[in-house]
Amino acid sequence: MRALKLFSSLAIVLFVTGCAVGNQYDYQSAQVSLPLVGNGDVGLGVIDNRSYVLNGDKAPNFIGLQRGGFNNPFDVTTASGKPLTEDMLDALTDALTNSGFGVKKLNISSSSPVVVASVVMKEGQEKNITLTVTDWKTDVFMKMTLHFDLLLQVFTKEGSVIASNQLRGKELIGGGAFESQNSRAAASAFETKIGRLFNSPNIIAALKE
Amino acid sequence: MKSIFRFFSIAIVLMLTSGCATSLVSDVDSQVDLDALQRFYVVKLSADNRGIQHLIVNKLNSMGKTAVAGTNPNPASPVDAVVTYEDKWMWDISMYMLELRIGIRDPETNYKFASGHSYRTSLVRKSPEEMVSEVLGKIFEDRPKGE
Repeated sequence: MRALKLFSSLAIVLFVTGCAVGNQYDYQSAQVSLPLVGNGDVGLGVIDNRSYVLNGDKAPNFIGLQRGGFNNPFDVTTASGKPLTEDMLDALTDALTNSGFGVKKLNISSSSPVVVASVVMKEGQEKNITLTVTDWKTDVFMKMTLHFDLLLQVFTKEGSVIASNQLRGKELIGGGAFESQNSRAAASAFETKIGRLFNSPNIIAALKE
Repeated sequence: MKSIFRFFSIAIVLMLTSGCATSLVSDVDSQVDLDALQRFYVVKLSADNRGIQHLIVNKLNSMGKTAVAGTNPNPASPVDAVVTYEDKWMWDISMYMLELRIGIRDPETNYKFASGHSYRTSLVRKSPEEMVSEVLGKIFEDRPKGE
């Protein structure tokens, strides 16, 4: 009877945690392609504005939840170990470089308009792009859902906003598969959402002017 | 004893149902009219030795489009869109296609304006032809402008 209890406990622990513990997704592998070709240097900053990160509830490298057998959540983090915004910054830098731009990274610590404007005026280029991430997390159980709220803005050297585009929502992006498939699905969703943000007439015009 | 039995019953149900997981999703840029696209170039995935590119070409042609495939990332002649794909296979008694991801891109910028993804585990497996068909069907069905 003791052996049965021990076996049951072990089975419960294995079942409840399963493959749900310690999952990591690789956003640096995202291959973002932008709907424009340009030239010249642009400043680029990605700002983490996620409430659950700002209030300390989650670490900056938190990117979602993987649920165990009883819907119990475990944190998913970036494969690089870096904050999500750094992975996004790297992927966006590659995308803009492939589109013909020279990229100068901007270190913006807050989404506060005053902070953003002062960093842009101090370290920015003639055109500056910021991506504010107010929500970005996946939630995986039997299906994979993405929660997102992204704001793309283009600033002048003087810190004025000349174009912006926002995407927010909650979407089914795949089945609750193995870690590697979920990682690819998350990176693919990032590729798509960033492409959509840039594919706005005012953003394209602002970057081509 | 009752609670242990209940636990294992739930566990078995979940394990069995996870063997038949499926998902079919697509994402199409609302600014792009897919109906207007006629000429497609399918880029063969270098790791693919199963000829999935031909299945995609066949399906697109059957939809009234004009599609060709090649190994070069850039088409030799002008096209309206470039098609890329990623396939993943698993073994369970026999090999089967676990997932297929298809992207439709702008030939000039490589911007992926439409994508689709099918995921099917062993018990609900489909042939590669059917997987290609359902992913392309989902992409072209999910068309904000051409509805």
